[in-house]
Amino acid sequence: MPQLQEDANVRMREDVKRALSKPVEERSWVMVIDIEKCIGCHACTISCIAENVSPPGVTYRKVFDIETGEYPDVKRLFMPTNCMHCDNPPCAKAANAIVPGAIEKRPDGIVVLNYKKFRGKKVFEAATIACPYTAFYYDDGSFYTQNTPKLESYETRPSFEYGKKWIRKKGKDEPPIETGRKCHFCLHRLNAGMVPACVTTCTGRAMYFGDLNDPQSLVAELLKNKPSYRVNENLGTKPRVYYLHGTYTEKELKEGCAACHE
Amino acid sequence: MERNKDCIYEVLEEEETLKQGKLNRRNFIKTSAFLGGSVYLSQLERVFELLNKAEAGILTPDEAYELAKAENILYSVCLQCNTGCGIKAKILDGIVVKIDGNPLSPWTLYPHLPYETSPFDIATLDGALCPKGQAGLQSVYDPYRIRKVLKRAGRRGENKWVTIPFDQAIDEIVNGGYLFKKVKGEENRYVPGLKDLWALRDSEVAKKMDKAVSEILHEKDKNKKKALIEKFKADFKDYLDKMIDPDHPDMGPLNNQMLFVWGRLKDGRKDFITRFMDAFGSTNAHGHTTVCQGSLYFTGKAMSEQWKFDEKDKKVKWTEGKKFYWQGELEHAELVIFVGASPFEGNYGPPFRAPRITDGVVSGRLKYAVIDPRLSKTAGKAWKWIDAKPGTEGAFALAMIRWIIENKRFDSKYLMNANKASAKEDNEPTWTNAVWLVKIEDDKPGAFLRAHEVGFPKEERVQVVKDEEIKYEYERFVVLKDGKPVPVDPYDEKEPVEGDLFVDTEINGMKVKSGMQLLYEEASKKTIEEWAEICGVKPEDIIELSYEFTNHGKRAVADIHRGSSQHTNGFYNNLAWFTLNLLNGNYDYKGGFIQKSEYKPTGEKEGPFNLKQMHPGKTTPFGISIIRHGMKYEDTTLFKSYPAKRPWFPLASDVYQEIIPSLADEYPYPIKAMILYMGTPVYSLPGGGPLIEILSDPNKLPLFVQIDITVGETSMFADYVFPDTTYLERWEFQGSHPSVPYKVQPTRQPVIPPIPEMVKVNGEETPISLEAFILGVAEKLGLPGFGPNGFGEGKPFTHPDHLYIKMVANVAMEGKPVPDADEKEVKLFMKSRRHLPKGVFDPDRWEKSVGSENFKKVIYVLNRGGRFQNYEDAWEGEQVKNKYGALVNMYLEKVVKTKNSMTGKSFKGIASYIPAPADVLGNPIEDKEEGFDLELITYRVIQHTKSRTISNYWLLSIEPENSILINKRDADKLGFKDGEEVKIISKTNPEGTWNLVNGDKKPMVGKLKVIQGIRPGVVAFSLGFGHFAYGARDIVVDEKVVKRDERRDKGIHANAVMRLDPVLKNTPLEDLTGGSVSFYDTRVRLVKA
Repeated sequence: MPQLQEDANVRMREDVKRALSKPVEERSWVMVIDIEKCIGCHACTISCIAENVSPPGVTYRKVFDIETGEYPDVKRLFMPTNCMHCDNPPCAKAANAIVPGAIEKRPDGIVVLNYKKFRGKKVFEAATIACPYTAFYYDDGSFYTQNTPKLESYETRPSFEYGKKWIRKKGKDEPPIETGRKCHFCLHRLNAGMVPACVTTCTGRAMYFGDLNDPQSLVAELLKNKPSYRVNENLGTKPRVYYLHGTYTEKELKEGCAACHE
Repeated sequence: MERNKDCIYEVLEEEETLKQGKLNRRNFIKTSAFLGGSVYLSQLERVFELLNKAEAGILTPDEAYELAKAENILYSVCLQCNTGCGIKAKILDGIVVKIDGNPLSPWTLYPHLPYETSPFDIATLDGALCPKGQAGLQSVYDPYRIRKVLKRAGRRGENKWVTIPFDQAIDEIVNGGYLFKKVKGEENRYVPGLKDLWALRDSEVAKKMDKAVSEILHEKDKNKKKALIEKFKADFKDYLDKMIDPDHPDMGPLNNQMLFVWGRLKDGRKDFITRFMDAFGSTNAHGHTTVCQGSLYFTGKAMSEQWKFDEKDKKVKWTEGKKFYWQGELEHAELVIFVGASPFEGNYGPPFRAPRITDGVVSGRLKYAVIDPRLSKTAGKAWKWIDAKPGTEGAFALAMIRWIIENKRFDSKYLMNANKASAKEDNEPTWTNAVWLVKIEDDKPGAFLRAHEVGFPKEERVQVVKDEEIKYEYERFVVLKDGKPVPVDPYDEKEPVEGDLFVDTEINGMKVKSGMQLLYEEASKKTIEEWAEICGVKPEDIIELSYEFTNHGKRAVADIHRGSSQHTNGFYNNLAWFTLNLLNGNYDYKGGFIQKSEYKPTGEKEGPFNLKQMHPGKTTPFGISIIRHGMKYEDTTLFKSYPAKRPWFPLASDVYQEIIPSLADEYPYPIKAMILYMGTPVYSLPGGGPLIEILSDPNKLPLFVQIDITVGETSMFADYVFPDTTYLERWEFQGSHPSVPYKVQPTRQPVIPPIPEMVKVNGEETPISLEAFILGVAEKLGLPGFGPNGFGEGKPFTHPDHLYIKMVANVAMEGKPVPDADEKEVKLFMKSRRHLPKGVFDPDRWEKSVGSENFKKVIYVLNRGGRFQNYEDAWEGEQVKNKYGALVNMYLEKVVKTKNSMTGKSFKGIASYIPAPADVLGNPIEDKEEGFDLELITYRVIQHTKSRTISNYWLLSIEPENSILINKRDADKLGFKDGEEVKIISKTNPEGTWNLVNGDKKPMVGKLKVIQGIRPGVVAFSLGFGHFAYGARDIVVDEKVVKRDERRDKGIHANAVMRLDPVLKNTPLEDLTGGSVSFYDTRVRLVKA
């Protein structure tokens, strides 16, 4: 048995650093999720909320908890999902038709929102309908601690999304309030040489991130050596989130998917 | 809520000003002054510079992401549960805004980084934490936290309070008086103060009394015992008014009527409390262990007892048993059986254990099975899920033992080793007493045969104790080797002794059997099929598990936890599983059964500060405790006949469920004052109904003080509630767990300014907290070991730092001391604490507390959040480096020689199956026969810790409430649908409600979740919901209503339905051997709500 050399988090930080040393158009960010290793702990969801100062109802990352089989032959399956950062993003087409420049596809693969343009329900709904992956959430200006004895400061601290400082101000119609929101692969962390917040906190080490253009990267190695699939590949969206299904059978995966998708 | 500047809650409007963009220099300074003047001006300049740049949109990515900077990060330890993951707290403007794992802590990276790694290098590297760890800041920044002392202004539990100054609260508690004369019905109630209870103050007299009481307890002869009591009364005639009852000197002094109880307590704060109680001279300092997994600890204690010279008793006896247990080493294990344990959800704990399991499974190294009536997340991904009936864990283990013995698949080489020398020969770090001979008396296994009983001479030995030579007789044991008796000294390193495994014979007319023989006899009381029937499982599963368990050498291990332990038969369930690991001989092995290892903060052995010795003039606490632990009923002056009025716990301690019912029954004596810290027995113990009744009655408990962060389910019944600091505002030494093979000491330190009000104690600023309470009371009473000369002449203990920084120094100096922090690190240390007020962080005070020669080492440790052994240093060939390395008892002589105080019968000394549930007299509970045909169990979801995560709103976004899990077969049979609301009822609680006494009731109603993954016949609810305090209920403070938050009373908490013991009536079912309270033995019925 090969001895474990280093934690995936350590290796992936090096992978990110190497990628940053290249021009942005030479990077190809992807996320790889090993379904067999996901233990359904939801740490990624909470880390994401904390990192991005998301209000109630906004969770860029969700993990579905699925039971398959019948007693006594029952198994559990956990399915983490977020924006798939499609190379052919239907959301961008739909949204930009209403507000040009609302959604942008970056050369490194990340699909980003322009918080100053992606505002109001109309453009949000257009993107939401177009997206087959339920990636979008609407920031309605609420706070977790509103209507309690104290609006807590952790909710009004700046977030660093897209490398800027965003402060959610109660009662103010300023971005990111009244704005559509979604996962951006923690672009602000990547730029600081850090792996996305959902990935680093993964207790089962089921989640990986890196530059697919770099054959030395952990993600490239995993995708080379293990069978993987992407959700709804048939739609031609070309998602950048890959799933390793390990020993789960097609039947179990189908049962799993059916828990949320028709 | 109406605005009130003096309200205990931080003022909403100030915060609004700060964050609504009206942020300018003037009101920023004003606001920060309100928060305690904690932001330095230099930092302020930088904040504004950055804010201006941000507005202009000219930040570089580096500048923008302030959470990646070393100066904005402090390292500490999580306490959202008790696992103790290292954390990095990322701080913005004095507020923790994001928490991630500390990459130097073995808990959060696998493997963790070398300890020498610079804190600058890890600023951009995060380790893994569970969702609770990620949400921890919401426990800290909870809108319902209290900042000032609350005093009860209504009846107990009425939830009417006034805020009072800290000094007034201390004064009232110390001096007593008619403290609640404004409360109707209590006009004439005199409350005794702590000054009245600190009765015996002469430390020399206390020491002498302790010795005299010890002689009384040791005297077996009735008349001689009586004479000793009379002698006591004569010898201490001037002090008899200071005794609880002079005719029962073993009850101890009046001091014992002051009781200190805690829930979660770690080193540091533990030393604070212990020092306080030692100074006060009360023996009643009790923890909560038995509500968690007490019997697991006390099985570990019984199995780790050593046959050694005892300095206090001056003779050889079973001693040094450690309150501890072993767990599986998962990094190298090839086969693990988790019993009533779900390391993906709890079980010390996901960030550490999960990657070792998932990596093992995916790489093909590891296969694991889970025995649990519920398909936990761990079971849901297991090789095998076995849903044995709750309470039959021991039966399952015995079935495996039978199969393994009959198929000769145990490690016979290991088990034959009878002493250290023979273990050493085989390079085995541990050995057992499996081959020692046990005498069979009246058909029952009793004491071990002694060598002198079969003609070998007794050995005279000499022990030096404090320069005094003490001669004593060393009794050896006996094994049979090739049919001949051979004497055994367990610790002899020169003469290897091996014994025959299965012995059933007579020597000199004495019937004897080996431990292995006794084990086999217990295991073969039933056939595999019969055991399977008891457990409700398939015999093939037992055989398959037994085969796999013995098919990986020492890299197969059984790892057990609460599911096995929290039954009336918990001790013996645990013993059976620990014995299975003995059959594999896997103790101290990679992939086997290991113990924890810690750098000691108390400095007993090699630290620069031996803190226990630095306690001049302490009073020696003595006497029977309120929970009657660590003592045999028969030895005391209270012994009359069986059953005792209430059970005694000679083999356990910290028997949480016994504390409050015992004081209500005044057995062995009444309690006058209770101080409760970070515990909520009403919410966390099973069968909370009687606790509410007792705590509501000031006549049963005249003074009740709680130290709490908010008004919770138990503090709502207190007389005074002192606010406390949370884990991000305070010190503690978290220690380790047996799942961790590395030697460690994760160190918790304040990372943000305190939220409770700052007060002056001993003339020094400190936040109101547990420490402030203790220092305040000590100052007022003049307790020895506190104050300007608390640690000795010229060594003050006037501020909490005086203790804590010394403890850090002890950690830093143990073994090979850590390096000094270099200049760059010293600067970082100062800069990263720039937001902390002087009452918390004062480099001068800190340096003086340990001396400048130690201070840079202290900085080195604190810059890393503790001390952690490097990854590669924890292994040694096939074994772990940090070893238990001693005798492990398979047969428990000390337990056999102890009687059950309710039946007068001896406890059993070998792994056995004892049917559950049973009452304290051993009679079966047969509620099933009365139509309560579902078995109730509880479990933990990963996003909650029992009583204190309902404030974590982020976690509630995953699941806003819990449910009652039921198998679809049962739901169909009973006609229930998924999502339907039902009430849980039981024989104990046929109404299915929490009775909150003041006319207030909360029904135990929850939504059904119909699933496949639970054993039919079993229903389950997860802990953490169904609150009726902790922000879930309106309370009145200073005549203003603090409105409840609806999100906090969602879901069900059905502990009050759990079975009360029919004999004791006010106490839940319990395990008299191991002390555990029963969580999983209640039969219930579901009715439409």
